[in-house]
Order: sequence, then C-alpha cells, then structure tokens
Amino acid sequence: MHGRLSFYVRRDSAIHHLNPLTKVVLALSIILVAFIAPWDWTATLLFFLVIVPLCFAGKVSREFFRSATRLIIPASGFIFIMQAFFQPVGQDIIFKFWFLDVTQESLIFAFRTSTRIAVMISSFTFFLLTTHPSELMSDLTRRGLPGQFAYVIISSLQILPQMQAKAQTIISAQRSRGLDTESTFLKRAGAIVPLVGPLVFGSLVEVEERAIAIEARGFTSTHKKTSLQNIADSGMDKIMRWVLLGLVITTLVLNIWLS
Amino acid sequence: MAIVNLQNVTYKYPLTDSPALQNINLQVKEGEFLAVIGPNGAGKSTLCYTLAGFVPHFFKGELTGTVEVASQESSKSNLSEWVLNVGLAFQNPFNQISGAKFTVFEEIAFGLENTGVPRDEMKVRVEDAMKLTEISDLADRSPYSLSGGQQQRVALTSILVMQPKVLVLDEPTSQMDPIGTREVFGVIRTMAEKGMTVVLVEHKVEWIANFADRVVALHEGQIILDGKPREVLTSDALLDKGFGISRYTSVARKAKEQGLWNKADLPITLGEAVEGFRK
Repeated sequence: MHGRLSFYVRRDSAIHHLNPLTKVVLALSIILVAFIAPWDWTATLLFFLVIVPLCFAGKVSREFFRSATRLIIPASGFIFIMQAFFQPVGQDIIFKFWFLDVTQESLIFAFRTSTRIAVMISSFTFFLLTTHPSELMSDLTRRGLPGQFAYVIISSLQILPQMQAKAQTIISAQRSRGLDTESTFLKRAGAIVPLVGPLVFGSLVEVEERAIAIEARGFTSTHKKTSLQNIADSGMDKIMRWVLLGLVITTLVLNIWLS
Repeated sequence: MAIVNLQNVTYKYPLTDSPALQNINLQVKEGEFLAVIGPNGAGKSTLCYTLAGFVPHFFKGELTGTVEVASQESSKSNLSEWVLNVGLAFQNPFNQISGAKFTVFEEIAFGLENTGVPRDEMKVRVEDAMKLTEISDLADRSPYSLSGGQQQRVALTSILVMQPKVLVLDEPTSQMDPIGTREVFGVIRTMAEKGMTVVLVEHKVEWIANFADRVVALHEGQIILDGKPREVLTSDALLDKGFGISRYTSVARKAKEQGLWNKADLPITLGEAVEGFRK
C-alpha cells in the first residue's frame, strides 16, 4: 500500500540539479524534434545519442533500462508490428502473411512511428525519473500556475494508490460476504455495483473532510504563497531552455524547407 | 479575559428543520482547557466547525448570534484569515493529510506555505513544532506510511505550526488504539502545559478528567451543564441521555447505592477511585 508514489529516484546528479522547467522543456524538445524531423533515423539517434546518455548522466540508467524492457520495448514493438502489417502504403511487397502484405514502405513507416513512440515514452520516463513532482509543481506555481491545479496533480499521485488499497479492502469485504468476483464475465460485471458504490460514496465523504483539512491550513489564503523548497533557476538553465527552443524551431524550419 | 465568546448562537444546516446548535452562550478564557462532551448528534462537531469558522464560511445554512475570537467576529472575517485565529483538527487522521506533500516535514510546512511565511522562518517553525510534538524522527517519512497515532500527531503539528490563538480538537482520538490515544494525548498535555487555549471534544472521559479546567455538556444542540470537571462528569443530569460516563464514576455510583462508597464526591479518575475504595 505504501509503495513508491512517483517514479522519482533520488540521486545526486547534474540532471537532478537542473530546474524542473528546464527538464520539462528538454523532454518536450526531444519529443518534438523526433516527431518533426523529416529523417527516418532521427528518433533512433535521439534515443541512443541523447536520451540514454542523459539517463547515465542522471544516474538513473538502471531504472531507465528496467522500464525500457517492461514498457518502452513492448509498446513500440507492438506499434511496429501493427503498422507494418496494417499500414496500406507502398507496392513493393517484401512478404505475405495470410492476407496481410508487408511492403518496404509500410516497414519504414512502422519503423519511424515506433521509434518516435519509443522516444516519447523514454523521454517522459527520463523526465519522471529525475524530477520530483512536488519540486516541479512548486516551481510551476511560483511561475504562475494556479495552486489548485498543482494540488489536483500532486494529490492524485498520492491519493490514487490509497484508493486502490481501499478498493482492495472493499473487494475483500464483499467477497467475505459471498460476492462472486471471480467466475463468469456476467457475474463479475454484476459485482461491480456493490464494489464501486462504497468506493465512490466513501471517496465523496473523504473529499469534504480533506477540503476542510486543507482549508484549515489556509489553502485558499489570499497571501502570496511561499515555498519550503528553494528551487534553483540558474543562468545556465535559462540558456538551455532558449537553446532547446531554438533547436525545435530549427527542426521545424528544416522540415518545411525540405518538404 | 475571554478569548472565545459565543453569544446566542443558533445554527441550522441547509435543508434541515431543526437547529444543530440552539442558543449557545459560551466564553472560554485565554489559556483555559475546555472539554466538550455529548452523545452522538448533540452538535459537538458543529460547535467545533462554528468556532473554526467553517460555519458559516464553508457549510452554508442559517447562523444567528455572534461568534468572536480574540475580539474579531467570525462572520465579518473570511475563512483563510480565520484559520490563523482558530486551528482545527478532527477525527480521521488519514483525511487530514493534505495529499500534496511527500514527506512529513513538507506536510507540516504546507499551511505556512499557503499563508506566505518566509522560507527561513518556515523551517525554524516546522522544526520547533516537530520537537514539541516529538515527531522529529518522522521528518523524512511519507505521511501515508505512518500509524494512525503518528498521522494524528502530524495533523496536530500541522495546525500548531500555524500558531493559532485557539486550538479546537474534534474527537482527535476516536479512531486511535490505546497506544495512539496516549500519543495524541501526550501532545494535548504539552499544549495545555504551554498555556494554549484548547477546546477539546472527546468521548474518552477518563482523559478529560485528567486535563480539563472546565467541562461543557452538550445535548440536542444546547448546553445543559457547564462547570468544573467533577461537577459535570459526576452529575446525575448526564444519566440516561447517552453521555459517556467514566467507568470509575459508574462503579462508585453503583457502590454508593450499596453503601460501599462513603465519600461525598464520586471519583472521576483512577487514582481517586482507588483511594476511595481503599477507605
């Protein structure tokens, strides 16, 4: 129940010391360049020459490769297979499987799409592994993001695992009273109501209590909020963000120019 | 001098016919420890919400009379200012954890961040408050990984750190096991010793007997008794109305009927009961 509440891994690295906004911009820039660049190999190069080295620099390579084998490779592999078989482009049939044709073009298309998806997931993974959610939200709130919005994001990270645990308790309670949750599909579907009812109504009651609790701690105070964490935003961070923005714009221009 | 002053307070929740509080007149002196007892539905929680400004600023409905704390009137203030006057902690420790913070230290600082306390002062205040409630060793733990008693101490510390003038506690130990109860009462004892003004709603009358300067008994939204703990907790007026009565008082009352208790006063604490029965 009290497992890790976010992907964040606490390490002492240059990447960890970057301003959270810089890391948001970095992750988004990598994704944008992968999707905008007109070359088929861009995403692959970004993965091996940018994201992987960044994960080493951030001392999170072990965690990154673990999620790569569990999520990134299966997800992009699935997309590759689906695109290769079902993308109706091209004439040069390389091989046939039952009624499905795999052409050279569909293979290239599948390669490009799946590597882009891999870059997208791995870029976010890198970002989540090296950025503490509360630091990110404190920084964004300081930059003008409404406090309520930041609260919703952060609290759902923490409250969802608690709700899962509660759902498990309700399932156990209802099963101990004879509710069938493991036989035929129809019976299981029927069992949803006595499971979801207590969870939803219970949560609604909790929402009121939690609202009172955070109000009691001045959540809607009109004072300018301060932050416990001192989140550094160095000149280097600012330069990096502008350079990254420049890279994205350059890629966009190249794409338009070459097409 | 009275820091809390309720004059003719009557309150009705929206969509209800009968008032939850009726014509309440209550003054609490600065530094006084007031305990409130009452059966379920007596209006105890409503009284807490009224003192803490949630009635009428959070719960709508009809409020008449005046609620004053430190010479400020609740209806003329807003909730976010009022919480600096009155701190509220309640029953369920789990629901008092903000959910916005990942460590106990950050959790306690949450209220100070919201009210714009500068960072350096914030750190000092959080550390001091944690020392006071003896939870400094929990600073880096996730608030969700704590026991009920620890969570409730974190919730209390989160309120204390805001340095309210009055602390209102609505059955803070109702969901605690005996160990948790002892932990939480340890904090409450420290507050009382520091001279903080405390209003405590509690069913566990044995604990009240040890702490309170004064006890108020609430029944069907009205104050039916108001006086010294012994006066109120041993009063026959509490019988058959669903009030929690100390087991020491009950045993001695039965013993008195049988002629086995010879003292004039009924006991409210274990020590008094032991002493009385020895004689």
